[in-house]
Amino acid sequence: MSVSFGGDEGGVNLTNFVCTSHHTADIISTVEFNHSGELLATGDKGGRVVIFQQETENKSQPQCRSEYNVYSTFQSHEPEFDYLKSLEIEEKINKIRWLPQKNAAQFLLSTNDKTIKLWKISERDKRPEGYNLKEEDGRYRDASTITTLRVPVFRPMDLMVEASPRRVFANAHTYHINSISVNSDNETYLSADDLRINLWHLEITDRSFNIVDIKPANMEELTEVITAAEFHPHQCNTFVYSSSKGTIRLCDMRASALCDKHSKLFEEPEDPSNRSFFSEIISSISDVKFSHNGRYMMTRDYLSVKIWDLNMENRPVETYQVHEYLRSKLCSLYENDCIFDKFECCWNGNDSVVMTGSYNNFFRMLDRTQRRDVTLEASRESCKPRQVLKPRRVCAGGKRKKDEISVDSLDFNKKILHTAWHPQENIIAVATTNNLYIFQEKVN
Amino acid sequence: MEYKVEAHRIMSISLGKIYNSRIQRGGIKLHKNLLVSLVLRSARQVYLSDYYSGACLNAQSEREGNEWDIMDSEREKFPPSATECDRAESPEEPQQSKQPEASDKEREYRENDDEVKSDQADCTSTLQQEQNPNPSLDSVGNVSPPETINEPKESPSDSSVAERQSTPVANGESHQAPKTHVCSNRKRSAEESESGDSPQKRTKVASSNSKEDEEGEEMDTSNVSNLITIFGSSFSGLLSKDSAKPEAEAEDSGQICCDQMLKNLNPWSTAIVAF
Repeated sequence: MSVSFGGDEGGVNLTNFVCTSHHTADIISTVEFNHSGELLATGDKGGRVVIFQQETENKSQPQCRSEYNVYSTFQSHEPEFDYLKSLEIEEKINKIRWLPQKNAAQFLLSTNDKTIKLWKISERDKRPEGYNLKEEDGRYRDASTITTLRVPVFRPMDLMVEASPRRVFANAHTYHINSISVNSDNETYLSADDLRINLWHLEITDRSFNIVDIKPANMEELTEVITAAEFHPHQCNTFVYSSSKGTIRLCDMRASALCDKHSKLFEEPEDPSNRSFFSEIISSISDVKFSHNGRYMMTRDYLSVKIWDLNMENRPVETYQVHEYLRSKLCSLYENDCIFDKFECCWNGNDSVVMTGSYNNFFRMLDRTQRRDVTLEASRESCKPRQVLKPRRVCAGGKRKKDEISVDSLDFNKKILHTAWHPQENIIAVATTNNLYIFQEKVN
Repeated sequence: MEYKVEAHRIMSISLGKIYNSRIQRGGIKLHKNLLVSLVLRSARQVYLSDYYSGACLNAQSEREGNEWDIMDSEREKFPPSATECDRAESPEEPQQSKQPEASDKEREYRENDDEVKSDQADCTSTLQQEQNPNPSLDSVGNVSPPETINEPKESPSDSSVAERQSTPVANGESHQAPKTHVCSNRKRSAEESESGDSPQKRTKVASSNSKEDEEGEEMDTSNVSNLITIFGSSFSGLLSKDSAKPEAEAEDSGQICCDQMLKNLNPWSTAIVAF
């Protein structure tokens, strides 16, 4: 069975998917490809960052199967304790964002709830040998034994990947940081918490500018919080932020220093027939992503994915149901806290397909051009050699067909919150709780 | 009836989540607690509005006496043994004039009571038209003096003014305000309870409020404390009603309702008091 996505060129062929999986020590909390797609970074609940690198078996044949292998592992954040508030600060990595590459080294920003760090990842494959005053192991030589002088030379060594923290951006957020986004100017970035968005310069750590503040004077009047924020991919003055009420605000930093007044407000009126106790929760937006071409943005709420045209504020241009069969289960999902899960979403390289996760280790690919969608599963079975990725179907009610899975059999502990798509190729990274699956389309 | 049970269940679950969020690692999540408090508010509104609209519709039926008793047991702020007949005349203006600067939540809280009062007025007039006074209600009705109504109203205004002064001071975490809430709730619960379990109720309300202190800014403390008071008053209302009303049918439906609450209340009170 072959399902083709995204048109004839650049489409996603779901047969012959090659899958590799990496078991992780801790729950994965973020996944991000760098700008070239060669590197894939994951952050986990224990504050660690693991970077995978694409290895091409045969560089002359780029369509050959390439694997992602561990390139570097480092501890980015440690648990901290705020003594003033008697609060523990989790070390869980909430987001990782790569900087565009400027030289041989790679840079990424990683953040937990309170502190953002800029990491430099560099390779070392040579080391100096032949010092006069030191032995090779570093011990100092006895001066009396030195009779000749030599010039140290660089000799090749086993590749070593070093990660070093270059900047620490701390103490700027009272509430929990949910997003970071690097500006297209490659000099600034924003960080967003529940009530405020700050603008930083990558070189300056001791100050940041507050550009959005939605904290009410009286906290009892609080009705919404910021849930995600992102800079426009090309326009360095534009950013968006989403709210727990299902609205997205687009702001222009040229308009004023404090961007509390939005330039555009994107909001779809609520469908009154779907009103329930949980309407407000499921309308809360968990992720917002600009398309690569900068003309659209995508939002993810609990049950659906919406594509918005930046020129049309009153409704999205496309709406896709991710798992509508959950609408009747909202009360149970509220009880077991699943209704608060924050699913992310991502675009493919040419903005023709979007992808998001669901429960039972299912993830969904939604083709915008062909108006088709498929549900796939990230599991051990799908990683067997020569395994064809089989589309899955969920039976909402009534008679369950063969090969369908009923809603009540879904495992809500197996959730895919984080997915990423290679910027150019049809390679996707899907994170289950403890495993990172990398699916790659194999072109014959 | 099913809506009431469902709404009540959701309220209990929501309170549990708020309670658990205190001990979660990483501090209180503002977003999640905001959403939970919204659900809590929705459930409470359904719980109360559905209840009263149902009661008014049935006011002309034979079971109207029973409905009155259920209404009494569910009433938040008023003494459970009091009746609405005497309070029909209690004007809404004094309430509103007392809190010209009340915060939104306080206003909403009082609006609910205003709705309740208007419902009462309608139901009372219907009752009087029917010329079917319940002797037990009349006798009980003379118990509550008008002052009982007004005094609880003053404390929220005090607390609301104190809150507004204190919130700019703290960095979003109004430590002073919840304390004032505690005081006001103590006053309210002292006014309401005419049975012997008022100290217990006060403890419960105070502990629940102190539990909410650490929630800080986002907690709708007035609503939650109302819920605690509902549970508390329903329990004591049942006790005081045993002596007041002779009708057996009232006790059935009232008891079922209160039993459900009691089942939930006992582990709650243990948990809250322990905290």
